[in-house]
Amino acid sequence: MKEEIWIEKYRPFKLDDVVGQSESIERLKSYVKTGNLPHLLFSGPPGVGKTATAVSIARELYGEGWRENFTELNASDERGIDVVRTKIKSFAKTSPLGDADFKIIFLDEADALTSDAQAALRRTMERYTNNCRFILSCNYSSKIIEPIQSRCAVYRFRPLSDAAVEQRCRYVAEKEGLQIADDGFEAIKYVAQGDMRKAINALQAASMFETTVHRDNIYKITATAHPEDILEILKTALEGKFMPARKKLDVLMTQQGLSGEDVVGQIYRAAFDLDILPKQMVDLMDVIGEIDFRLTEGADERIQLDALLAHFALSGEE
Amino acid sequence: MASIEWVKKYRPNALSEIVGNKKAVESLKKWAEEWQNGIPDKKGIILHGQAGIGKTSAAHALASDLGWETIEMNASDQRTASIIEKIAGSASQMSSLTGTSSKRLIILDEADNMHGNADRGGKRAIGNIIKNTDQPILLIANDLYSMTTSIRSLCEVVKFNTIQSRSMIPALKNICVEEDIMCGVGVIEKIAEISGGDLRSAVKDLQAAAIGRSEINVEDVTTAERDTKESIFKVLAKIFKSTDPVAALHATYSLDETPEDLIQWIDENLPIQYQEGKEGIDSDIIQGYRNLSRADIYLGRVKKRQNYRLWRYAGILMTCGTVTAKSHIHRGFVKYQPPSIWRKMGQLRAKRNMRDNVASKIGQHCHKPIQQTRIELIKMYGMMLKDEDYAVNVTTNLKLDVDEIVFLTGGKKVTKKIQKIYDSARLQIEETASSDINVFFKTGKNDKGQMKKQTGFDQIPDNATSNAMIDKIGDTSTPTRQKKKPQKTLFDF
Repeated sequence: MKEEIWIEKYRPFKLDDVVGQSESIERLKSYVKTGNLPHLLFSGPPGVGKTATAVSIARELYGEGWRENFTELNASDERGIDVVRTKIKSFAKTSPLGDADFKIIFLDEADALTSDAQAALRRTMERYTNNCRFILSCNYSSKIIEPIQSRCAVYRFRPLSDAAVEQRCRYVAEKEGLQIADDGFEAIKYVAQGDMRKAINALQAASMFETTVHRDNIYKITATAHPEDILEILKTALEGKFMPARKKLDVLMTQQGLSGEDVVGQIYRAAFDLDILPKQMVDLMDVIGEIDFRLTEGADERIQLDALLAHFALSGEE
Repeated sequence: MASIEWVKKYRPNALSEIVGNKKAVESLKKWAEEWQNGIPDKKGIILHGQAGIGKTSAAHALASDLGWETIEMNASDQRTASIIEKIAGSASQMSSLTGTSSKRLIILDEADNMHGNADRGGKRAIGNIIKNTDQPILLIANDLYSMTTSIRSLCEVVKFNTIQSRSMIPALKNICVEEDIMCGVGVIEKIAEISGGDLRSAVKDLQAAAIGRSEINVEDVTTAERDTKESIFKVLAKIFKSTDPVAALHATYSLDETPEDLIQWIDENLPIQYQEGKEGIDSDIIQGYRNLSRADIYLGRVKKRQNYRLWRYAGILMTCGTVTAKSHIHRGFVKYQPPSIWRKMGQLRAKRNMRDNVASKIGQHCHKPIQQTRIELIKMYGMMLKDEDYAVNVTTNLKLDVDEIVFLTGGKKVTKKIQKIYDSARLQIEETASSDINVFFKTGKNDKGQMKKQTGFDQIPDNATSNAMIDKIGDTSTPTRQKKKPQKTLFDF
């Protein structure tokens, strides 16, 4: 069983298994209970359970043969107006199989549909409500045109709370006969940032080392520096000790093989925890962003990160 | 178990059942009555307005009130010129199947959403059909200005407004009575409130809350607010009034507004909030804009590089940056304004459409791409139109309409002089047109559309009006039509 990827293996089958979205899930459960469903629009960041929820709804409504009446289209692969007018429309037109009342079309990443394609979708949604219901998922609901929002019940999925991430990881660990140390949980939560997919991937990767998951393994496997180390470096720099800070960062990067962009990402997160004035924080954030941008433009990561630390040292002196 | 949607079930069947928009419904009725008594000046009508406020319902209700048949086309159908002409065009000229007296209402839903490529020529076809129709045509659109000026000028224009919650509440209550549902205090009001004037979404939310229940309490109304202005005001208050940048940042996370939209809100309100009606400029405003412009740079980078990670810096600089920009707390309540740029955008787009229309006409005439025409020739044509020696001929050659002359001469409204130029140009066009027709069809001028079919000359633009129409819509894709002119002279001999 070890070879199977956990994010699929432990994808929730039931709405009850979807963690951290209890309010929305409660409402969705009552739809399933009555067997009736409006069109739905799920919006939220990645890895918070949008797809899982859609699939769970289909499984609970249709039981074993759910695949017959459920189609998943990734809108970012097929995003043109032609797809809406041909593929989606023809699926929507045909009657549901078996004793189901309607089929479900799940349009993942619907915000990737061009607005023309979205416009073409709206009457299809309305005209074939006897045959089928749409579930749309997107990262930003403002990218979905208003007429479609107006036709859907909109559900917002929030980034998962740390508790929710921990709860699910505990469950997975139990099933897999894994131990997770306390610091292991901390590390998973830090790495996941509310994204369950990331959390479980990290867990699975770390489980390859030993049966007890420690934070070191998590950080190592996800190419993440220890958050305390990053914080330490920033503090040192803020005290004006540029050279020691630079040396520490150097060691960190060469030893753990971190990429510049990863380090900047972590510096960004650590900056919220620094004991500095709000104004200073904003200015430093601007510098971090600038460095981040330069790195994506292909600048040298060592030079840029050194420059970043120099900025911190300067800011600390002021 | 009937899984029928309430939106469908309770769709109004008669105009009297339409909630709100009394005035709009009246104008619609008036237009329809004109059709009952012959053919009105404006054969088409455009219903426009936000989503979910009853435009499509009104169209169908009208038809059922008057016993008209309907033919509907919407954006889920492909709408190229030939398809539109086949379906709506034939419908617009044949008498009804069921009876001779009854009309047939042609509904073009989502008329503002014609796809450039997949619906090639569709816009032009709509214009043609409205001109030649014997049957009422009704266009429905969200955005009036994305339709061409010529279509707009052919139609009655009726605006539907968002529905106020107090008119919405009785309608929702009715549904509850019909469905045997008890509502707690404030439920209906809350649903009406979060709908933002969109009755369809209110009914959806009501159904969503009612599924599996016979009683609804306020807590049960959990479908998220659609992007309405309610919540943004709270976030703005956090940004402009508080001193905690991180709290303000977290508030924006729950907003589900893209940074691009949020920055417009902040930009609109920053100076008003921090100025407090003082003389001169408050230094907080300068600091605020420093951060805001940095935020904007990040937004530009995201757009250019499609690197959404940089959004977080934009978010921090625009929210935290605005929070920390204030040197002291700005007291006093000033109402937050929605970004005025959004309001102006409609006008701007209309102007731009006009400019491009004119440019394409000129471009076609002078064999130049629109881009170049815009820069090089529009000004010159403007000068020529001001010169009486040229004005009429220019208007004739380009088949300009009055609005376009107004635009080119840089005026504000139709003056007598412009009207005169236009009228003389019309006369010239008609003269050539009628001589053409006489050459082709000695019998005279019956139904042009039918004659086209009989003679099989549909390749040849048989009269100047259809030519004018093509030009009017500003179609750039038909350089081949230029070649038909010599053909015409061949037939003349």
